[in-house]
Amino acid sequence: MNKKKFLANFLTYIFLIVFTVIALYPIINVFTISIRPDDRLLSTSLSIIPEGATFKQYIELFTNRPFLLWVWNSAIVSFVVTVTGVALASTAGYALSRFQFIGKQVSMLGLLTTQMFPATMLLLPMYIMLIKLQLINSYLGIIIVYSATALPFCVWQMKGYYDTIPFSLEESARIDGCTKWQSFYKIILPLAAPALVITALFSFMTAWSEYIVAAQVLQDTDLYTLPLGLKSFQSNLTTEWGLYAAAALVVSIPVVILFIILSKWLVSGLTLGSVKG
Amino acid sequence: MIVSVLNKHLISATILLAFAFSLLTLPGCGSNKKENEIVIWHNMRPEEKNVIQEQLDEFMKLHPGIKVIQLYKETEEMRSGYIVAAIGGEGPELIYGPSDQVGPFVEMEIIKPLETVFSQEYFSDYNKDALIYTNNSLWMIADKLGNHLTLVYNKDLLPVPPKTEKELIESGMKLTKDFNNDGRTDQYGLVWNYTEPYFFVPFLTGFGGWVLDSLNQPTLNTPAMVAGLKFIQDLRDKYKIIPNEADYDIADVLFKEGKAAMIINGDWSWSSYGNAGINYGISTLPYITVSGHYATPMVAPKGYSINVNVDDEKLAKVRMLLEFLLSSEKQLETSLEVKTFPSRTELYNDPRLLNDEILLNSKKQIEQGRALPIVTEMRAIWDAMRPSYQAVLGGAITPEKAAQLMQEDAVKKIREMREDVDNPVWGLIVQVLMLLIVLAALFFTRKSIVAFFRSFKKNTFAYFLVLPALVIMIAVVLYPFIYNIILSFSNMSLSHIHDWKITGFEQYAKVFVEPQFYEFFLKTLIWTFSNITFHVVIGVTLALLLNKKLPGTGIFRTLLILPWAVPQYIVALTWRGMFNYEYGAINLILVKFLSMSPVEWLKSPTEAFMAIIITNIWLGFPFMMIIALGALQSIPQELYEAADLDGARWFNKLKTITIPLIKPVMIPAITLGIIWTFNNINVVWLVSNAGEPSDKTHILVSFVYKAAFNLYRYGYAAAFSVVIFLILFAFGMTFLKRTKATESVY
Repeated sequence: MNKKKFLANFLTYIFLIVFTVIALYPIINVFTISIRPDDRLLSTSLSIIPEGATFKQYIELFTNRPFLLWVWNSAIVSFVVTVTGVALASTAGYALSRFQFIGKQVSMLGLLTTQMFPATMLLLPMYIMLIKLQLINSYLGIIIVYSATALPFCVWQMKGYYDTIPFSLEESARIDGCTKWQSFYKIILPLAAPALVITALFSFMTAWSEYIVAAQVLQDTDLYTLPLGLKSFQSNLTTEWGLYAAAALVVSIPVVILFIILSKWLVSGLTLGSVKG
Repeated sequence: MIVSVLNKHLISATILLAFAFSLLTLPGCGSNKKENEIVIWHNMRPEEKNVIQEQLDEFMKLHPGIKVIQLYKETEEMRSGYIVAAIGGEGPELIYGPSDQVGPFVEMEIIKPLETVFSQEYFSDYNKDALIYTNNSLWMIADKLGNHLTLVYNKDLLPVPPKTEKELIESGMKLTKDFNNDGRTDQYGLVWNYTEPYFFVPFLTGFGGWVLDSLNQPTLNTPAMVAGLKFIQDLRDKYKIIPNEADYDIADVLFKEGKAAMIINGDWSWSSYGNAGINYGISTLPYITVSGHYATPMVAPKGYSINVNVDDEKLAKVRMLLEFLLSSEKQLETSLEVKTFPSRTELYNDPRLLNDEILLNSKKQIEQGRALPIVTEMRAIWDAMRPSYQAVLGGAITPEKAAQLMQEDAVKKIREMREDVDNPVWGLIVQVLMLLIVLAALFFTRKSIVAFFRSFKKNTFAYFLVLPALVIMIAVVLYPFIYNIILSFSNMSLSHIHDWKITGFEQYAKVFVEPQFYEFFLKTLIWTFSNITFHVVIGVTLALLLNKKLPGTGIFRTLLILPWAVPQYIVALTWRGMFNYEYGAINLILVKFLSMSPVEWLKSPTEAFMAIIITNIWLGFPFMMIIALGALQSIPQELYEAADLDGARWFNKLKTITIPLIKPVMIPAITLGIIWTFNNINVVWLVSNAGEPSDKTHILVSFVYKAAFNLYRYGYAAAFSVVIFLILFAFGMTFLKRTKATESVY
């Protein structure tokens, strides 16, 4: 038995290591680009540490470019979108999972159908609409658009997770004297922590990495979000690849940190089992 | 107890209030155009950008009341973004770019004729090539001439540049070397981005050909075209002086690393070769002795146009800024700094410029060059040349056949672009039908609507929870959605940007008669299902392993989400590099570790398609992994313990416990994953370089983007999108019905 378990664990690690290497290799390539002394996307050499490696791009990024401003702007936008996403998806998902009401099926399908239209085609009318609402060059405009982009997935995802939580929990809570809102807020919501984490991560990423809408809506350089800033290192056929690569890596750090913080709830499992069993 | 509950409510109330407040105070709500601000969109490279910023700073110091902002946009994005913004009545005051963007802008009436801004005398100070006239008006004043290809050579390898094509081949063969005799070329005589038609044009002109005649009809099926194509084939296959596979970046790197003696590249690239430590010189492209013509590049001035939406008050300021930026003094500054050639007549023979060897040779090449046609038809020409040209290079067709196909395709594309549908009868029928459908929808749902309002009271809590999300969705999506459906029945196109009207079902008919529609539909299905299958299988497997909570899994978990966290753009391009035939990591692994023969990933359609799928699998598995990880938490451990007591094997546990219990969470993710992948244009665009080779590596969305948007066929594009939508809708309904995902499991 023990020997078998050992073998299983050993294979687990092998598998994880192989996939981690595959996951990391292209990213290491990006790192190599970022420490190359000249702006080159490709190289005929495969060495990870290039000749004349230098961290000057990272220094340039933080000293000579408004990089921190972009980080700050993106952080604000992403934070608001995340809060909106979590608040709206956790409530809507709950209603769709627990209650029978007229328009439920239509709402669920409606949410899904919004994702089916090729997004690039919606840009022109969306832009005209934002002009009419005077939301050009404003965070409010892109926050609304991003929230709407993230919501369908988040709502569906939350609904799916709530579905796995037994109804009996609320019933006993109601018997104990909780209101509808309390039994949702105090009993069910904490149990759905893993799904909330996914919702938060997804909403955050939607706002953190979106480029096309931002490029059309935000014209003022002071309002630039990270993807817009990064894009400014690019130009036709002569991109500042070193800087771009360095920034791309730095930009992923907050996502990783957020993930590490949220991981606690993503894999905790909480007390669901004991109630359910 | 009461206190703590109260506290909790207080905290959440405070958070909500702070949130609402932050929304209200976010910058820019409603504060649109600023009266004293001038925005310039441009596609300048970094050095040019620095120079113009210095000049703008100087201007703002002279005119403290005016603020000027310059914004870089990639050429294509600038064009499409500007069209969208200008049609919407907004956009930058000035747009700076190559002269060929004037063509579509004039047809769409989104830039101002400059005669209304400047006096005639003002124009007399400019080289005539710098003034872009069409439709009897002046639309752009260039500050730079050129934007042209020349021959760049490494002086350390080749002291004297070749004058003729024979010398080019001769020195090319001498300089193409395999130093260590391993069968792989270590140094090339000549490299360049020869797979792209723009970079091929000098060899079309070199044999006496050109792209358009005086009536703007394509002239691609000519002996000159065939000879030019054969010449490129010979360079690669007969004389073997150019790499087997080359795109812009590979050519660029080879020259920068000193592994190529010559490169054909434009004026934008020269200074980067100096920065890379290459002792380079430039020279005019060779004389083709067999035809008696010079290999002639296209020359396109770059300059400013004024947005049609600029009002009178601002116009004076814009004019002042232009006069400043276009002055001789500023042009001279720019030219010396970034090695481009100025447009003022008085600078044309200025010794300060001609003493510079690079500028002198650049000028020679400009004088030999031929102006890039600014008509919108050029779009169709490029799009028609590319596939057949690349098919010749891939060995799929002969040069003669390619020339013929190019011509046919160009004629077809121009016809499609210019096609004007106007069918008042069908237009009326469609409008009546639309009205009937809306009325019918209202009629048949009337009972539900009444019931909805009746039940509102009973289900207040549920509605209260679900409505905020629905309201925001409807607000954002409904208008664009309906707008697009209406557009799909219209004739909106290049010539009907402002005055489009509903004309009937023609656009739909065109979608279904397009033979490539079916080909790319099939490819889209393969693309979607192979991606999702791998995403789910890899994602769930990894999640199961990570969920074993062995020591160290926390680190793996964090590392494995990295492909999701790093911005897609750069990793997608890194993958493209990894697929390179000669220098890419993937072939190296295949050859060295798996003893396989290298694969020409990006040159043949099937392999290129595999390459985009592999890249997208890599990008997408972490997402499914996280979802599966979350889903696994909902499974009570006791179930496994009970199963263990019964002596169940792991496979049985997987089948009877894990899969059914993660299903409610996975099904929504898979459904949406399929929809997103079906419409995911980014990876296709970046890795296959917008559909290469030969426009075969497409899925439906990337195809419609290229075939319709590139040619400004907006009505057609909208109809195509509606078709895509209907396909997905049909799929979605079937899938959901079979998996019962809209219903609760309890």
